[in-house]
This record gives sequence, structure tokens and C-alpha cells, in this order.
Amino acid sequence: MTLAENLFENLRLELRRGCLTLAVLAQLRQERYGYTLRKALADQGLVIDESTLYPLLRRLEAQGLLASEWREEEKRNKRFYRLNADGEQMFAKLLGEWQAINASVTATIGTTTTNSTL
Amino acid sequence: MEILDRYLEAVKKHLPWQRQDDIVAELRANLESQLEEKESELGRPLTAQEAEEWLKQLGAPMQMAAPYQPQQYLIGPAVFPIYRTVLKIAFTWAIIIYSIVTAILLLTGTPSAAALAEAVLRIPAVLFTTAAWVTLVFAILEFAVTHNCIKLPAMVAPSASWSPSGLPPLGQEAISGKKPHAFASAVAEVIFGFIFLVWLLLVPHHPYLLLGPGALYIAASPFQLAPVWVPVYWCIVALNILQLGWNAENLWRGRWQKPQPVKRAVLGALGLVPLVIFLTAPGHAAVLLKHPLVDQAHYGAALQAINRSINWSFALICAIVAVQLLWGVGQLILNVYRNRAAAMQ
Repeated sequence: MTLAENLFENLRLELRRGCLTLAVLAQLRQERYGYTLRKALADQGLVIDESTLYPLLRRLEAQGLLASEWREEEKRNKRFYRLNADGEQMFAKLLGEWQAINASVTATIGTTTTNSTL
Repeated sequence: MEILDRYLEAVKKHLPWQRQDDIVAELRANLESQLEEKESELGRPLTAQEAEEWLKQLGAPMQMAAPYQPQQYLIGPAVFPIYRTVLKIAFTWAIIIYSIVTAILLLTGTPSAAALAEAVLRIPAVLFTTAAWVTLVFAILEFAVTHNCIKLPAMVAPSASWSPSGLPPLGQEAISGKKPHAFASAVAEVIFGFIFLVWLLLVPHHPYLLLGPGALYIAASPFQLAPVWVPVYWCIVALNILQLGWNAENLWRGRWQKPQPVKRAVLGALGLVPLVIFLTAPGHAAVLLKHPLVDQAHYGAALQAINRSINWSFALICAIVAVQLLWGVGQLILNVYRNRAAAMQ
């Protein structure tokens, strides 16, 4: 990997990090276990490594945003996650923040593009 | 699948021990679901090679387990700024204390170039030991803070009483865009100032440190230094002690970046003292004959020429230092005047 590629990869990961948390919280408004969550995110175009997603679920649970429970499904014990009340509130706040940032960045990019074309 | 069991067993070894079984059970459920789906897509079990490829994609066991570990710092970002400040202070004091102790030991023992060299070579070890102790203390502090045993002092927490107007004014270098005096240079000034002082104190007992092999020639020559050199020498020693102390104090108080025109002017003025003592010596004698009665006829003219040359040289140096001092004082007065004028506007 060249220096430029390495830099791009680091910046890309940095950019994705916060977005992934928001996407995971959004998906967990509905109860899911790790693998189905990963599939649901991938179906929406967000492919996440197992080594990123599963520990992230543990962290969000430790931060008090998710509730989890072990349950048997299809003859296999699985750990199901879902947003709890605090998680719902946090998701709503983060979503508002995300929308504001998204609008600002989109506007900024639009302005910059217009200026550079002029 | 045996290879999946082996993979999970390897991952388990790198997981936090309190949650190993729980995490492995969850990983197993997720990975088995993934495997099941792959196999149902293919309509057959994965071959050994396909299973290996799949696990390879998941990442090495350590890589899979690492994100489950809590983030750990030896010294975290909250404590690090204090650590850096304390380390700088500790380095300064270590050098000062070491310098004083070494100077006393060298002066009370048998001073020699070898002992001096040995003392200088021991400096990195002193700094390393200091850094190790400070780091150990801060690692313990970090542990205590992260485990909620203690709270960080207010000095690193955002303070409501902080005010931008309390910030120190910009130095002249910052205003003029010059690079400020670096910490490393300030430390180097103290270290080399100390080394120079020790060297200076050793010179009277070991003239070869100043003159090299020429010391033998001086010893064998009919000339000797006049008594005026004694007060001149001690003036130079006192000046160096003053400058070293001043530099060390600036370092200790964190003022090494500030321009210090007053200090420069005072040192410049004091620098004139040994020159004036020399130039006002009785008979302007810098060098005397060891045996005047015997050697006067033979070396009298040479002695006069040597003394005249030395006196002229010192007069010239004295004039240069005086002009420099006047220039410095003039600049200082001009800056004070400018600052006052700017403040009035």
C-alpha cells in the first residue's frame, strides 16, 4: 500500500467510524443478532467486518444504549440486541446531529464545487 | 467444523478473560450462521480450502480479538499534558542537581579530564532514570484515574475561570515572526554552560585543558602570568555561574522562549568588569618575568611587546563589548518606548 493509499484508508476509516455507530443504532430499533445485523447493513451498502461490528455491539451495550438477551433460534443460542430507552434517545439526538452535519457538508461541497467551476 | 473450533479457541486466548466464554459463544453463533448460509448457497459443505479462505477473510485470531479489549494507555491523553510538563521540569532539576553534585565532587576530589568526561557521559543515564521514574509515577496515576480511584486535578480539566485575557503577551520574536527559543536549545545551554564552568574551574590546575601541549612551553618559558589574572579569572567564573543560574532559572520557570533583553544588557555590562580590571592593572602588566634580575636584559623588550599587544587586544575587545552593550541598551529603550506608544494608542 502506498503512502497516499494508506492515508486515504485512515481517513476513510475515520469518516466511517461515527457513521457506522449511527447505522447500527438505526438497525437495532428492531431486534437482531450479530449476523443478521451485519447482513442488514450490507444490504443497505454498509459492509462491516466481523471484527468491527461484534465488538461495537459489546461497547454500545456497555455504554448502556443496547439491551441484549441470549435466546434459542433455529436450534442455536444467539445473542439478540435491541435499542433500550436510553439508546432510543441517543439515536434521536445523534440522528439530528447527523442530519445537520450532512446538510452543512452537502451545502459546503455544493458551494465549493460551484466556486471551482466558476 | 473442526477448523472453526480451532479458530475460536485461538481467538479466545486473546480475549479479556472475564468475558471469554460469552464472546466466543456469540462469535460461534454468528459465524455458524454465516457458514450455514454459505453452505446453503453452494448446496454443499465448504471444502477444507474454502473454509480456510473464509477464516482468512475474517482475520487472524488476534486481529479478531483485539477490538474486544478495552482501550488501554500507559499514559492517556488526559494525563499526558501534565506528564510532559512534569518530565521537562524533572529533566531540568535532574540536570541542575546532578551538575551541582558533580561540581562539588570534582572540586573536592581530584579534578581530572577523565573524571569530567565520565561525569558528562553519565548525563544520559541520569536523564533516562529520571524519565523512567516519572513515567512509572504517571502510569500509576493513569491506572488510578481510569479505575476511578482518584479524580484528575482541576489543572487539566476545562476550567470556567480561564480567561483569554490572562494569556501571556506575544514575545518580540513571535511578533517579528522569528522562531522562538526552543526547549532543547535552552536545556543545551544549561548543560553546556555547566560543562564549560567545570572546564573553566579545572583550567588553573590543568593548563593543558586550555593550551594543550603549549602548556609545557609556557611552563618552560621565562614568562609568567601577572597577579591581575586572578581577579579577572574569578570575575569570569562568577559571570558564568550567574549566566548558568539565570538560564537554569528561566528553564525552571518556563521562560526560555521569552526574549530577555535586560538579562543580556546586565550580562554585557558585567562582562566589562574583568576587562576593566585588566586594563587598569598597575603597569598594564599581563605577563611578568619569572626571574627579572636575570632575564630583564635578554627578555625585557619582548616582555614589553607582549604586554603592549595583550593590552591593545583587551582594549579592542572592551570597545567592542561596550558598543554591543550600548546598542543593546539602545534597542531596549527603543522597544520600551514603542510598547508605551502602542499601549497609548
